[in-house]
Amino acid sequence: MKETPLIEVKSLKKFFSVKKGFFGTTRYLHAVDGISFAIRKGETFSLVGESGCGKSTTGRLVTRLLEPNDGEVWFKGQNISHISDNQMRPIRKDIQMVFQDPYASLNPRMKVKDLVAEPLLIHTKLSSKERDKLACELLETVGLNSIHAERYAFEFSGGQRQRIGIARALSVRPSLIVADEPVSALDVSIQSQVLNLLQDLQEEYGLTYLFISHDLSVVEHISDRIGVMYLGSLVETADKDTLYDRPMHPYTQALLSSVPVPDPTLKKERIILKGDLPSPVDPPSGCRFHTRCPSCMEICKQHVPIFREVEPGHEVACHLFDEEMLKLER
Amino acid sequence: MTQNLLEVQGLKTEFKRGDGSITAVAGVDFVIKKGEVLGLVGESGCGKSVTSLSIMRLLKDTPGRISGGSVRFEGTDLTKVTDKEMRQIRGNEMAMIFQEPMTSLNPVLKIGLQLMEPIMLHLGYGRKKAREHAIHMLRLVGIPRAEDLVDEYPHQLSGGMRQRVMIAMAMSCHPKLLIADEPTTALDVTIQAQILDLMKHLKEEQDMGMLLITHDLGVVAELCDRVVVMYAGRVVEEASVDELFARPQHPYTKGLIQSVPKLRQNVRRLDSIKGNVPDLSQMPAGCKFAPRCDYVTERCLSQEPELLPIEGLERKSRCWLTQQENTEGGERL
Repeated sequence: MKETPLIEVKSLKKFFSVKKGFFGTTRYLHAVDGISFAIRKGETFSLVGESGCGKSTTGRLVTRLLEPNDGEVWFKGQNISHISDNQMRPIRKDIQMVFQDPYASLNPRMKVKDLVAEPLLIHTKLSSKERDKLACELLETVGLNSIHAERYAFEFSGGQRQRIGIARALSVRPSLIVADEPVSALDVSIQSQVLNLLQDLQEEYGLTYLFISHDLSVVEHISDRIGVMYLGSLVETADKDTLYDRPMHPYTQALLSSVPVPDPTLKKERIILKGDLPSPVDPPSGCRFHTRCPSCMEICKQHVPIFREVEPGHEVACHLFDEEMLKLER
Repeated sequence: MTQNLLEVQGLKTEFKRGDGSITAVAGVDFVIKKGEVLGLVGESGCGKSVTSLSIMRLLKDTPGRISGGSVRFEGTDLTKVTDKEMRQIRGNEMAMIFQEPMTSLNPVLKIGLQLMEPIMLHLGYGRKKAREHAIHMLRLVGIPRAEDLVDEYPHQLSGGMRQRVMIAMAMSCHPKLLIADEPTTALDVTIQAQILDLMKHLKEEQDMGMLLITHDLGVVAELCDRVVVMYAGRVVEEASVDELFARPQHPYTKGLIQSVPKLRQNVRRLDSIKGNVPDLSQMPAGCKFAPRCDYVTERCLSQEPELLPIEGLERKSRCWLTQQENTEGGERL
């Protein structure tokens, strides 16, 4: 019997309206267009893709900072996609977020101890003394000194600020942390410190991560399972080893081959994609990727491929792996 | 015998701050040979961008100034020439590409006009000929429908396209040296692959020297012939790209290479360099990397090592460890 996943997303959709001109017709930007995935407890699931593919919007839908237009988000067996703010509040304690920009996500006028303890103020009935004590403990947990508690955010470097952001997310003991590009603003030597910290905390507190990143090397390091997004849809999900050893979707293959490898002796065959990402306001017909796909067929221009399991735990949305569609093409 | 295109010697750049000044670049030495790609690597705040701005003499409207050293471009010391002479060189014989393709193009001017400006100025072409040349340059960098694009504005283009326009602009006067400051950092990986591929082709076709400034070791491995590693305003190591990745000598270079997660490497934990980059106004005495170094000795804390060639090798390092014969008495802490 399968256990219920901690969080499950079912054909989630989010559109943003964009208006062209004063009398212009309203058109919709398909930021997230029908994606489904599930994350088990204690697992790290990553969403990876290029800018504008909808990975951050997905993160915001999961944390219910945005309400979906269609589809469902199930958290611990409860459908949270359309519940009221009041009903959502106790659940927010269980889902916390770490943001990309450690400079913008910390209030410059608050002391570090107040920043870290702010979720406690909202979600618990602890006294201010107890909160301060917990804040100091949390700072130590993330590798900062508790004497830093009285300082302000500007006195810290990028890596230290990201640690403060992590301590804040951790303060209410959440079960899910949505980390949206948590290391992309950091230098490499600091990036590895923060990645190690995230892994240590996961072991210690049994955390589940939804990790959002564009960096394939970082994603490979931290994830158990990975979903690759392109223009609002998932094109492939698989566990880490399968995805990196045997990527099936042409986009995943191109993406993986594009990563510059820090090893000059390795000269690898690179798949260079032509052109740019199409606009999500006016996405291509059929398969979203067909305009750039090196193995595009006639059928790809007309029919949207179905996201289906091609082997246990490995799902792909591509006509190349759909026997019936291939027959039709011939 | 290959000639040196650019020789930077003891370059020092200071910025005024309050009553005092801070030194962002503290004596940087390197050379770029003709047709060679030199990578300048380091983390933020190590002075790599200030080095490039100093070479191009673009510090005029900042509190910064070059306070020492020389920058010889084909024998001419650029720190000594007048502004007028510098204008003849800048954009003509030396050109630069910046990190932000969004902000380095003028949003109210058509692409074509921006491209034609340096062409008319430096090559002395008339409008019509300059326009043709601009279209030719856009084609060269792989832009489709270049004839239409010259009449469009920067906001109509994607990030990758804008960066191509920047490259076309920099290349338009056939510079002998191209300085590229984080040219692909703001781009997505598939677009980055396109741009790196383009730069590789252009470099081979035009036989141009390049100074590539980046923090991404993957990009360095991809494009560079030789690498200079900077830390806290100083060069800490210099080697050929193969040597650097195969046998890094300086502990900082080692740490940097090991901190990068590599595809299919499968390690449980990443190695990381402890601590943070020191503040420019509060530099430690001795070796600037000593407080973060795993191999620190008594000597490192008090005396700063020099950038010296390693015996028998075509490379340099600024570390007491690689200068074994000098390290007598250096107790390991």
